[in-house]
This record gives sequence, structure tokens and C-alpha cells, in this order.
Amino acid sequence: MRSAWRWLLVITLSASGSQANANDWNMPVGVTDVSADIFGLHMTIFWICVVIGLVVFGAMFYSLFRYRHSKGAKAANFHEHTSVEVLWTAIPVLILVGMAVPATATLKNMYDSSDAELDVMITGQQWRWRYEYLGEDVAFTSNMSTPRTQVSGAETRGEHYLLEVDEPLVLPINRKVRFLMTSDDVIHSWWVPDLAVKQDTIPGFINENWVTINEPGIYRGQCTELCGINHGFMPVVVHAMEEDEFDGWLAERKEAAAEEAMGVDREWAMEELVARGQEIYQSICSSCHQAEGQGSPPAFPALANNEQLISDVDWHLNKVINGVSGAAMPAFRSTLNPVEIAAVVTYTRNAWGNDTGDVVQPSEVAELIAQ
Amino acid sequence: MSPKLPPQPHLQHSSTAVSDGQSQSHAAPPKGILRWLLTTNHKEIGSLYLIFSLTMFFVGGIFALVVRAELFQPGLQLVEPEFFNQMTTMHGLIMVFAAVMPAFTGLANWMIPLQIGAPDMALPRLNNFSFWLLPVAFALLLSTLFMPGGGPNFGWTFYAPLSTNYAPPSTSFFILALHMAGISSILGAINIIATILNMRAPGMRLMDMPLFVWTWLITAFLLIAVMPVLAAVITMMLMDINFGTSFFNAAGGGDPVLFQHLFWTFGHPEVYIMILPAFGIVSAIIPTFARKPLFGYASMVYATAAIAFLSFLVWAHHMFVVGMPLVAELFFMYTTMLIAVPTGVKVFNWVTTLFRGSISFESPMLFALAFVVLFTIGGFSGLMLAIAPADFQYHDTYFVVAHFHYVLVPGAIFAIMAGVYYWLPKWTGNYPNERLAQWHFWFSIIGVNLTFFPMHFAGLAGMPRRIPDYALQFADFNLLSSIGAFFFGASQLLFVLGIILCVRGGKKAPAKAWEGAEDLEWTVPSPAPLHTFETPPVFHRISH
Amino acid sequence: MWSVVKSVLAALLGVQSNQKRQEDFSSGKPAAYIVTGIVITLLFVLMLIVLATFAAR
Repeated sequence: MRSAWRWLLVITLSASGSQANANDWNMPVGVTDVSADIFGLHMTIFWICVVIGLVVFGAMFYSLFRYRHSKGAKAANFHEHTSVEVLWTAIPVLILVGMAVPATATLKNMYDSSDAELDVMITGQQWRWRYEYLGEDVAFTSNMSTPRTQVSGAETRGEHYLLEVDEPLVLPINRKVRFLMTSDDVIHSWWVPDLAVKQDTIPGFINENWVTINEPGIYRGQCTELCGINHGFMPVVVHAMEEDEFDGWLAERKEAAAEEAMGVDREWAMEELVARGQEIYQSICSSCHQAEGQGSPPAFPALANNEQLISDVDWHLNKVINGVSGAAMPAFRSTLNPVEIAAVVTYTRNAWGNDTGDVVQPSEVAELIAQ
Repeated sequence: MSPKLPPQPHLQHSSTAVSDGQSQSHAAPPKGILRWLLTTNHKEIGSLYLIFSLTMFFVGGIFALVVRAELFQPGLQLVEPEFFNQMTTMHGLIMVFAAVMPAFTGLANWMIPLQIGAPDMALPRLNNFSFWLLPVAFALLLSTLFMPGGGPNFGWTFYAPLSTNYAPPSTSFFILALHMAGISSILGAINIIATILNMRAPGMRLMDMPLFVWTWLITAFLLIAVMPVLAAVITMMLMDINFGTSFFNAAGGGDPVLFQHLFWTFGHPEVYIMILPAFGIVSAIIPTFARKPLFGYASMVYATAAIAFLSFLVWAHHMFVVGMPLVAELFFMYTTMLIAVPTGVKVFNWVTTLFRGSISFESPMLFALAFVVLFTIGGFSGLMLAIAPADFQYHDTYFVVAHFHYVLVPGAIFAIMAGVYYWLPKWTGNYPNERLAQWHFWFSIIGVNLTFFPMHFAGLAGMPRRIPDYALQFADFNLLSSIGAFFFGASQLLFVLGIILCVRGGKKAPAKAWEGAEDLEWTVPSPAPLHTFETPPVFHRISH
Repeated sequence: MWSVVKSVLAALLGVQSNQKRQEDFSSGKPAAYIVTGIVITLLFVLMLIVLATFAAR
């Protein structure tokens, strides 16, 4: 069945005389069984529509041409024929039933996320994705890595413009992976066309979806639910690896996470924290508070020369850890670890003329979070 | 309703007509601006609605052009994402609530009394109020663009919590504006129902009514059923924003998905509110220019009723990816596929009306024929979207944008234009300049397809909706769409020119302006005098 | 009664002959059609729910 659709696609492609990849103008066949099934449904219903269209528009244009007033056509006066009407009601019903059966089967399969070998928690945040490998102590956020200079046109746009991230979601092939999806702020939607996974991430809800990838590769998608200013700059990148390669990667990440956890207890130097904090600021905070901390009031207050921020370190820490309810500022207590929070707060308190000289140690942050 | 026509309303009306108040206003209507502020005449109010709608069509169109200009090529060139979001939102809101809906109400005001032989609408003062709410509502809505933090930026579907906890401060004004527009719609609907049920010419039974009247009767019931739901959902938003409730705020125990269920309980019937009167207009025009009675009049009425009824059972097909249970997905997939059946019946009936007719191609007919073809294409993509598993790929991409623009622009708006060209001779006494109208038609056809057809491909290739900038592989499609949009926008100036010229003069139209036209409006002189059918006409049944 | 049910089903489907429609509108009370309509609507929804539940198994 699947190969039949691929074959059909090849015909269509060559008929159009285009050298373009089908993905450039049609739905991708994708790299999972589900995505291939969906592609099959898509092409089936498409050709059904084409055939119905040819019949209906054919009859219409024949009538328009054949019965022109200008050619002296005389109008007939019939205006009803119940059996014909019943017939053309019944035929669409049968076609639709024929369509509903395979669609139901595919949908049931898509909803069956049982027996997954790996659980990944996906959390939407304005405007990044957070991935957490449940039970593995590995978690990270994934931000768009396309520089703003490319968006403004000051720099030439790269091949994967807007569809590239600092850290992709890494998944194994041939294993059933279950996604648990939620959001920290507004509704986002996580979509990778090649995986045929699109699911809203909704605050207060945990949605499920799953994927078994058949081929290794890098698959790109985007947030598809309007989620604020940077909705268009929230790409999804999935890096699908061979199974042993994935296991190696996961072990490495676990080790690094453990090392980071150790770092909470030691005393950090200011330069270390500022360097680390600058990276975090640029990838996470700058989308709202801007690269130079100037913000964009009234929605996003300036951090540079912010009197309250400069004078009150506890207030500053509280906002970063617990967020601001009713505003766009999220709580970072669970998304960033104490080292990262300490680093970014230290950086913010010493950048852009905020020269407070304050150093916030990771241990202090850990204590605050524990409270 | 009672099949035997109650004669009382006519008696009432003619008795008030001879009483002092009415005759006075006949003699000396107020002059200048007051005449339009105070008018209770259905023709004048109809014209006000139509002029308002046309103005807003251009305002919403300019917003769309800002969007298309930004999307002309990759990168951010003209506007910031914040303003881009305001433009997409305002474009949607203005086009739905201020352009398409008032245009249909305007046509209803003008044509329903003329088509059923009534002297005016049943509730003329209410009619005046319904209209004048609109300019106030939309002036308020547009003013939010100049408020601190900007106007609504959360899409015309305003999903919570983006539109509540994360919304700009102007959102309360947006809610107030929408409340006013909603009240206007409800009052207009009540007026239309009261008119149709009580004021038909003696001898005209419900089943003798022209289809435009029928479709509007059903639309009016839809409006009364769903506008209160919209009012409820925006009131809940207002409470969440200003009074600390948590209807849609998960942190306070609320439910963001509830918002979507409520919104689409309103929103899906709303879609049919914007298309059923279009069906009515096309069902009037095609028989006229095919010189042959409408095929399956009874089925057309029943199919309209069936569509209206099914429209309440399909709302969650807008929510296939929010994580509903499997049973709900299946239920809404089945109901959505079923709604294709009565819609198909309508298309088949129009085509069969053409079969063995005697067809001529004046501008109203051209627009009506384009409606049939392009609306059907929009219906096809709708059928594709109904397949829930496939919708996981289509949802919130440009494929959806292409779909609903096909049913709204060459659907609803072409039907409105067809209606305008069809009835302009009745309104002004002059035929519109046919050559100009034909240019308008062909430019519109090219523009509309150039704008919206490439969007199908962009969506299938993976371009999400509502993004101010896009990956490089979507560049060609967006370039075409933007060129098409400016072409379409510019060609609408021909429409305005045609209307202005027609109002000022042109070939004089007789009472029956089109050879094949049959309904009651063609029995009054062209232009229709300010007061018509003060004595109810005698209705002669055409053998349907 | 049966003719009322038949007419409502015809409305649900969207196909009706003119003669039948004439009969509907000249005889019978509107209330009968409205009540039958509501009942059949509920049955229709119920039937689809059962179908969906069964299909989801």
C-alpha cells in the first residue's frame, strides 16, 4: 500500500516536470509508519476530490458551453427529480464511509501510546522547548540558534534559517518513544512534519503522543500555535540516531548532569558565573528583555539600570525563581538548575552598567528553591 | 410557523401609515447627517450597512496587505512581530465581524422586505440601533491599535491564556467592541425573523419564499443561538483579566481547553452564518441567468436546514490536536464528514440548474459561477481537513489558511459582489457598467487564485500560520501569494469605481432588470422608491 | 406520525420533493415537526456516539 503511494507520487512529480523534492510542495511521506499512513490518507482523499471535481466541473462547464443563450439555447423547465437527488446524496455517503474506515484505523493507532520504551517530557515555554528524559535525570532547553542578524538581513541566511536550534531533541530510531506534553505559559504546539506528530502543549494539561522513527536523520519543524511575539522563532529539531549511538549520548549527558549537580556546593568565582550567565541570558532571557537588557516596555521591563533590580537582590532572585504571576515572566525554578540561575542573576547584576558587584552563589539559590 | 398567513401585521402597518407620525416622516425626512442618523427606512439602513461593510473591507484589506508585504520575502523588513500579530488579528476580526457579516445584513435589509412584499422591516427603530452600534464598536476596536501595548495580538480566535493573562491592556476594549457587535447581530437577527414570519405578502407561504429569504431566516436563528455563547466566553475573559477569576487560567484551577470548546461552539455555526446567505444569493442569480427555475428548490431549503443543524455538532474539528479522547475525535470526524453531504447536494443542484438552461454571462452570473467552482474547491480542502489523522499534519498550517480563504473570499465575498451587481439596477435605477464589472471579475479571479492557491502548497510543505518570517523553502509560494494579494486588493478599486459610476448614472434599468428574474423585487420600479409595498402586493405563486 | 418522521429525516439528509414539502407546510402542526426534529437529533447524536465508542474499541 505504502509503495503504491510513493509510486503515485513519483508519477505526479514527473508529470509536473519538476526536479523539486516532493516535500517542497506536498506533505512529506515522513519517516514513521504513522506518517506514511497519513500520507496515504491524504493522497486518497485528494484524488477522490480530484475525481469528484472533474465530474462536477465537467458537467458544469459542458452546460455553460452547450446551453449558451447567445447560441439560441432554449431553457428547459424541469426543476426536480427526486431519485436523481437521492442517488447523488447516497454516493457521497458511501465514499465518505469508505474514507472513514481507514481514517479510524490510523487514528486508533496514533492514540495507542502503550508499551513505550522511552518517555520524553516536552514543555513549551515562550519561546523555547524544554526536553526532559523521564527517569534519566537528563533535561535541557532547546532555543532557536539562527542569529537575529540573519533575520534582519544584515547577514546571509543559512540553509536551515529559522529551523535550527542550539540543542536538538535526540531520539533513538526503532524504539517507541512516548511524548508527554505540557506548557508553562500559553498554548504552544509541537510539530515535526516528518514524524507526523503535532500536539498542543497546554498549561495544566499533559497530552500524550508517540513516535517510532524508522530512519536516522535530522528532522525539523516549528511551533504551530500562536504563542506571542516570537511564535515564528520557536523551531523544533529532532536528531534521530542509531540505537547504540543514542545510548552513548544519553550516558554522556547523564554524567554531565551529575557533574553539574556537584557544582552547586562549591564556591564559584564571579568571572565563571558571568561567563556562564551571559550564555544563558542570550539563549533564554534576551528574546524578551533584549540583548542589551533594554526590554520592550510595557510588556517586558528593562533590566539595564532597573532601580528595583539593582537595589534588591532578593527581589531579583524571587522573580527569576518564581516568575511573575499574570505576566509573561515564567518561573525558572524547575527549568534552570541552581548553577544556571545563580549565573544568570550574577550576570544580569553586573552587565550593561548595572555594576552592583554582587555575586550570587549556586548554593544560596539551591537553598531558596528548597524553601 | 403557521402555514396560513396572518393578515394582522399588514393591517397594523397600513393603519400606522395613515396615522400622523408616519405620514409626517414621509413628507419631510430630516436633512443632512440627521437623515442618516435617524433613518428607520430599510433601504437607507441597508445602504448604510453596505457602505460600512465596503469601507471595512478596505480597512481589513489594508491590514492583510501589511501582512502580505512583510511575508513577501524571508526576514523581517517592514514590521516587528508584535505589530504583525496585531495585523493578522485585526484583519481576521474586521473581515469577519465588520465586512462579511454587515454586508449580508445590508443585503437582507434591502432585499428581504422587497422579496416578501413587506413595506419595511418589522422593527425599524431597532434596525437603526443595530446599525449604529457597528461604527461605534469598530471605531473602538480600531482605536486599540493606538493604545499602549497595542491592539489585540492573539489571533482572531483569541485563544486563552494568550488573550487573558498574556494579553495587552487594550483587551478589555476589544471585548467591549465585540460585545457591541454581538448585540447588533442579535438585534438584526431578531428583526429579520420577525419580518419574515409576520410581514410576507398575502398568499406567500414560507415555502414560496425566495431562497435568499430562506437562508437568511435560518442564518438568523443560528445568530440568535450562538452570539450569546460568544458573549459568554468574552465575558469570562473579561472576568479573568480584571476580576481575578480563573475560568481559563490553569494556575488557578481553570481550563484553557474550555475556552476553545466555547469559542468553537460559537465559531463553527458562525462559519455557516457567513456562507448560508451566500447560498441564497447564488440560488437567486443562477436561475435568473440560466432562465430556468432552480433545480430542487425543496432540497435546497432542506439542505440549508441540515447544514445549519449539523453545524452545531462539528465544532471540535477545529481542535483535533488539543488532545481530546479518541471517541471524541471519531465523533467529530464523522459529523464533519457528514456535513459534506448536504453541501454537495447544493452544488449538484446549482450545476443541474445550469443543465439545459439558456445561459448568459452578465457580471452577477460570472461571480456566481466563480462562487460555485471556488467554493467547491474550498469544500474539497475542508473534506481533507475533516480526516482527523491527516488533520494532525494540516492543522494550523497555511493549508488551513488556504481552505478558509477559499470559502470566504471567492465564497462569501464573491457571492456578496454577485448580489451587489445583481441588485444595483434595483437600488440605483442604473445598470452597472458591464465592461468595468467584467474587468473587475477577471482581475479578482486571477488575484484570488494567485493569492490563495499557493498557500495550499506552502501549508503542505510545512509552513505554520501566523508567523511573521519563514524558512527559505517557503519563499516562492509566499512571493506569489503577496503579488496576488496586491493585485487582488488593487482590482477591488474597480468595484468601488463601478458602484460610484452606477450611483451617478448609466444605462437606465426597467423594473424587471434581468430577463430571467422572477422574484417580487422586480415588480417595483427601478430605482426602488423609498417606500414600497405600502399596499401589500398580491402574490402569484410561481410553480416551483 | 410516520410522514412527520420521514420529512424530518429528509431534512436531515437535505433531499425532499416539492410535493412532499407542499404537504408538510400545508398540513400538520409545526410543533410536531419541532419535537420530532429534536428527538431525531438526539437519536442521531446518540447513534454517532455509540458508533464512535464502538470504533474506538
